[in-house]
Amino acid sequence: MDKYDVIVIGAGNGGLGAACRVLNAGKTCLVCEKHNIPGGFATSFVRGRFEFEASLHEFNGIGTPEEPGSTRILFEQLGVADKIEWIQLKDAYHLISEAEGYDFVMPFGWEAFAKANNQLHPDGEKYINEFFELCQQIRDAMGYIGEMKGKPDPQVMMEKYPDYFACGSYSVNEAFEALGYPKEIVDNLNTYWCYLGADGNNLSFLHYANMIYSYFSKGAAIPKYRSHELSLAFEERIHELGGDIWFNSEVVKILTDEEGHVCGVRLKDGREIKSRHVIANCSPHVVYGKLLDSDAVPERALKLTNFRKLAGRGFTVFLGISKSVEELGLKDHNYFVYDTSDNVKQYESMKTIGNTAAQATVCLNNADPDCSPEGTCIIYMTTLFTDDAWSSVSKEDYFKVKNKVAASMIERFEKATGTNIHDYIEEIAIATPETYARYCGHPQGTVYGYESQYYDGLMNRIQMVEEDRFVPGLRIGGGYGERLLGFPSSYKSGVNEAGRTLRDIEKEGR
Amino acid sequence: MAFKRSDIPGEDIRLAMGMAAKRRQLIDETPATPLVYEYGVNRLAKALHPGFVKAVIAEKTPCSADCWRIRLEPAGGGEFPYFRAGQFITLSCRAGQSFLSRPYSIVSSPKEALEGKLEIMVQKKGIFSTFLIEKAPAGTELWMGEPSGDFYHDSIRDRSHILAIAGGSGVTPFLSMMKAIREGSEDFRLTLIYGARTKAHIPFDPEELAGEGVEVVVVLSEEEAEGYRHGFITADLLKEYIDDDTSVFMCGPDAMYRFVRKELERLRFDATKIRQERNSVGDREVSEIKAFRLTVHIRDTIYELEAANNETLITALERAGIPAVVRCRNGVCGFCHSRVLNGEYFIAKENDFRRAADKKFNYIHPCSTYPESDMEIDIPIMNP
Repeated sequence: MDKYDVIVIGAGNGGLGAACRVLNAGKTCLVCEKHNIPGGFATSFVRGRFEFEASLHEFNGIGTPEEPGSTRILFEQLGVADKIEWIQLKDAYHLISEAEGYDFVMPFGWEAFAKANNQLHPDGEKYINEFFELCQQIRDAMGYIGEMKGKPDPQVMMEKYPDYFACGSYSVNEAFEALGYPKEIVDNLNTYWCYLGADGNNLSFLHYANMIYSYFSKGAAIPKYRSHELSLAFEERIHELGGDIWFNSEVVKILTDEEGHVCGVRLKDGREIKSRHVIANCSPHVVYGKLLDSDAVPERALKLTNFRKLAGRGFTVFLGISKSVEELGLKDHNYFVYDTSDNVKQYESMKTIGNTAAQATVCLNNADPDCSPEGTCIIYMTTLFTDDAWSSVSKEDYFKVKNKVAASMIERFEKATGTNIHDYIEEIAIATPETYARYCGHPQGTVYGYESQYYDGLMNRIQMVEEDRFVPGLRIGGGYGERLLGFPSSYKSGVNEAGRTLRDIEKEGR
Repeated sequence: MAFKRSDIPGEDIRLAMGMAAKRRQLIDETPATPLVYEYGVNRLAKALHPGFVKAVIAEKTPCSADCWRIRLEPAGGGEFPYFRAGQFITLSCRAGQSFLSRPYSIVSSPKEALEGKLEIMVQKKGIFSTFLIEKAPAGTELWMGEPSGDFYHDSIRDRSHILAIAGGSGVTPFLSMMKAIREGSEDFRLTLIYGARTKAHIPFDPEELAGEGVEVVVVLSEEEAEGYRHGFITADLLKEYIDDDTSVFMCGPDAMYRFVRKELERLRFDATKIRQERNSVGDREVSEIKAFRLTVHIRDTIYELEAANNETLITALERAGIPAVVRCRNGVCGFCHSRVLNGEYFIAKENDFRRAADKKFNYIHPCSTYPESDMEIDIPIMNP
């Protein structure tokens, strides 16, 4: 077929979500993916007797079938929920931070987490209860604003959610300072910062509070068969609904007509497919810088894209270990190993190669004992680079530099946990910013889209989502979208953009 | 709550509501300069992983009774991608009615690739190697898949001494490693133990290879000669070259792997420190050869062809002249990842490297899969 109602560029989380939404509404849809499998970062790969998860540490917003979280509800609406087997995680994390001497495990669940904070401060529980009540209000306010399609009644907002607007202009650090919590409590609540990758001076408090509340109150889960299971579940759903996915099919051009409206795409092999609507699940830098002809790009699109800041560039070490987690003495699924809990300092030192001031490390077998053969385990360690440090690495040095960084992360983890893993490394794979650039084409190898900035955070973006689009017939969704990075956000962003595209189509029909 | 930036009533709300206006203003003040979408990171990613490139046969030289060295040059000049010594490339081209692809380990060193030189060693045994040796003169253009594979020395995973055991053209990745050690792009010690029938079957000059950090031992099974060991690669022989910082790398025929593994077991050598390069998945033995109907979807095109139960699906696709993507041909790399719409199939356990979710949702790697009924599959397009 050479004509579709909607073409989706990229089968990442946003693209897969968008395609399902479009198809569920009875429209025809083609997904063009340049790689040979779906998922983008949501994938896995095999080395020897190990299958490694490529990116996911823990998925929030799933909840349980009885008490579903927002993403499970979304997956149910899209028709993929039944295709995925989830494993619930027991604990939130094990934090080891050298400067403060922290070494503790935090459980999931409002009550359990609140109680666990008593070990940090005599009034820990009280602070956490107060904090979660605030988060609850923020979340309810967001729900209400969503229900009102972005136009809430100011009277209702003032009466029911007074703190929402009161803290709306606060960064995370400003908010914690205003709340006046003790340092230990603030440090603990800041632990998840690296999941959003912006330091506390820039990160929007509303955004962060919303995320950590979701983690602690609903818990987190992982798909039984790595995130490749998520991607294939979506692919299967797309086929069930009559959609098409073409792999090894990179879009090199988004075509526009004389009126500047989208009219199709051109693939790498020259084939052109017609459509009045394109949802791009890729970077606006690529969309406005490469995919559109420059005369189809309005000046303000360039201004907006230049205004934004590329976020964390990924680095992950994947290890297949020929010893079990029991033999190694590693009890937890999710370790955060920090030099300091001061995330402004961490952010600074992550600008250059050589420092691994922060790492998030997963021992997968502690969530799923069957994820690797008996007597073995899978460990993966992730850090971010908060600047474009890898652009100056030469091809001759590249393999050496990546091994050097990986070795330092392994050593750091061993020191923090008192284990020896180096002697039992049977398989290793290392993903650098180059790797992420290679598979997903993101500028500088960012894995986090555009960084959450003081004036480019969640609330700003949601509020200005219509203002931030420029080419009729074109919408951009996924990790660069209005909901920012992360698994749940990228699916939701894609689905939201698809919803808006469906409304565009409806308007055209009138 | 404590959120109060000033004592002016409603100030916090005004600030929150005003953020959009401030953002709008900041965007207005940003220059509309052309966007940079490709940085050093993206350029390096492309240089290391260009996908398919066109290469030309520059020179062919026989180097033993049954091996040839073939030197490639980039079509149109320039350099080949930098790689890790021990990796392989894939060569593809149309040969008669068929469209064939085969993996070949690289003889050259990583630095030679940057000089536009890439040499492979081809042992005359199958349809494509015979084509390359006999029917593809200098100047023949081929598609070359980028260097791939994880059969290389990793400074974290592997020990500082590699005991390299090879037979036939299996010496190829080690030739690359030895060159890399010599030129300084790799830093480890390597001892090569090469098994051959006679001196005439050695596709390299042992004396030329030895040097600092590199030792070469040739074991001849059917000839006795000075400077060469005689017999087989036994535990007693291996023991002489294993120190307490040794990893074993093997590349050669499957029979050699089985034999050497048993010998290493006798020495109680840590099996997790043995790596072997995998061989292509070939035909299988069946009690009765049956032909099945294979329906193949590539994008919106449908092909109908015949597939025999003793041959892999990729073999059937190639014979029918369908340009199918394939890289490793041994089930590992997943480059040919394809969706099964209908039909039964067989994958030998030792060749099944699919992801767990692939099994759940019925995906296969055609390079390691045999049909057991009529089948319908959806394969990715070959799109260099």
